[in-house]
Amino acid sequence: MAAIKETRAQRVFQVFNYIFLTLFGLATFYPFWYVLVASFNQGRDFTRGGVYLWPRAFTLENYGMAFDDDRIFSSLGISVARTLIGVVLGLFFTALVAYAVSVKTLPGRTAFTFFFYFTTIFGGGMIPYYMLLRDLGLTKSFWLYVLPSIYSFFNFLLMRTNFDTIPNELRESAQLDGAGDVRILFQIYVPLSTPIIATLALFIGVGHWNDWFTAAYYQTDQDLWPAATLLQRLLSEATASSTIKVGQETNIATLQSYTSQSLQMAFVMLLTMPIVVVYPFLQKYYVKGVMVGSVKG
Amino acid sequence: MNNSAAVISLEKKSKRKEIWKRIKEHKILYLFLLPCIVSLLVFSYYPMYGATLAFKDYKYNLGIMGSPWVGFKHFEDFITSPEFWTVTRNTIVISGLKIIFGFPAPIILALLLNEVKCTKFKRAVQTMSYLPNFVSWVVVVTLMTVVFTPYGGIVNDIRKSMGLEAIFFMGEKNYFYPMVVLSDIWKNAGWGSIVYLSALSGVSQELYEAAIIDGAGRLKCTWHITLPGIKGTIGIMFIFAVGGILNAGFDQILLLQQPANNEISEILDTFTLKTGLNYGRFEYATAIGLFKSVFALVLMSLTNFISQKFMEVGIW
Repeated sequence: MAAIKETRAQRVFQVFNYIFLTLFGLATFYPFWYVLVASFNQGRDFTRGGVYLWPRAFTLENYGMAFDDDRIFSSLGISVARTLIGVVLGLFFTALVAYAVSVKTLPGRTAFTFFFYFTTIFGGGMIPYYMLLRDLGLTKSFWLYVLPSIYSFFNFLLMRTNFDTIPNELRESAQLDGAGDVRILFQIYVPLSTPIIATLALFIGVGHWNDWFTAAYYQTDQDLWPAATLLQRLLSEATASSTIKVGQETNIATLQSYTSQSLQMAFVMLLTMPIVVVYPFLQKYYVKGVMVGSVKG
Repeated sequence: MNNSAAVISLEKKSKRKEIWKRIKEHKILYLFLLPCIVSLLVFSYYPMYGATLAFKDYKYNLGIMGSPWVGFKHFEDFITSPEFWTVTRNTIVISGLKIIFGFPAPIILALLLNEVKCTKFKRAVQTMSYLPNFVSWVVVVTLMTVVFTPYGGIVNDIRKSMGLEAIFFMGEKNYFYPMVVLSDIWKNAGWGSIVYLSALSGVSQELYEAAIIDGAGRLKCTWHITLPGIKGTIGIMFIFAVGGILNAGFDQILLLQQPANNEISEILDTFTLKTGLNYGRFEYATAIGLFKSVFALVLMSLTNFISQKFMEVGIW
């Protein structure tokens, strides 16, 4: 194709294509930048408007206030804890299941896969699920976030598809050498699958970090709210009071220069930063992972 | 006759023995599966049993099992209630808008990205476009609130500088659907394009070369080679989109919902949540949820059937 000389129309198309894609990229990225700038700008100064590209009145006060706020600080702790525990347990148990099903001589593996798959196309609904959580006592426990979501069919599928590419002969010869399944899984299969494990760690971690719904509707102990849920509450409180101008209800009595909005901006950035730091580095892995999942799924 | 029957039963016996032997050999693998089976039974299958509540009159002290049966009463109540049409209509309108505008977006994005020859530029745009997929809807809605607020938000600042009036985009009813569709595209188009890009990379380059020699232009190539080449992927994604039509993007809607737009924003899921958890009408809410699940399953099967018939792709 490169050998053929581009026509005028094609060149025009290319120019417009580059312009359009640049604008699209900016449109997805700019809102994050805007909020980042807002989070480093004095709150009251920001509400005057006109701060678009760079902080006008630079300050770290918003972040300081966010960390000083007990609720925000402890909610971030809950988020970190559930993300770490969720990723470790999710990977471990998914690996066990994927390994077992990837052994082609296992009787009942197809039946099991269907048993698992069926949960993705039909469910009992939110209310029976809530009643179950309540009866199990999970609605006032940290484990609400971790236990019910250890297994996901999509994650299982990704890991199994990957294990399927490892020849069964490898397992058989290891068995002849006297290795048990536990050793084969953790010393052969897992090291051979680091890309998919990195991808799944990202997906599971992001899922936990972002989940606001579970706690907002199923958690009765507000001290156990993760950061995403707390942010949602702050957001809806701000919306509810939007008649008195969001972000402008500065506390004049104490002459603070931050507003509830600027504090919120810092909070949003604390929730977004860990993701921004991690996801570009795993890009080449998860792009492949998504493709596998969509083809086989 | 007797003899052959005996042989068959003996064969069966030895076959059963063989399977039994294999099961024993794989003991530890079943141990690997056990926690998963228990977890699925508890967290997925038990709530399916719990959904029988939809046909009962729930008494707290009697539990789900002991409560008396009432047949289809709750379903009848829901279908004849004034909310039924509003909620169903809203769900389908929102999903429909998302399919019309949101479904082609990643395809178009993938086609455009595919034309880019500078790999660095392509990668940069892709990386940026994936970011919204990784953040929570809570963050997205917070960003929207800041960007669109009439009080110092950038969009309204621009409008004002152009002499236009500020608009309360997040609160006005007329802007609810545009905001839903726009934020849906913003969050999902980039990520959605991955699948199509990988399908595009599978389209044979020789076809293009042959077509160009035959004098086909770029548009003709797209229409006659590229699109047919990714037809299968489009078909499968479409089945999923239609299968999810009754979801309409639960947490997005829940977060964008406000009293001012409630009339056009209440969807099946948000309505279930409110009647169930806020008003405590467990059995009624369960019935609505079940109605939705069954209807969604039927829809999915139907599109799968049609797609298999006309496009020769399916998910089952």
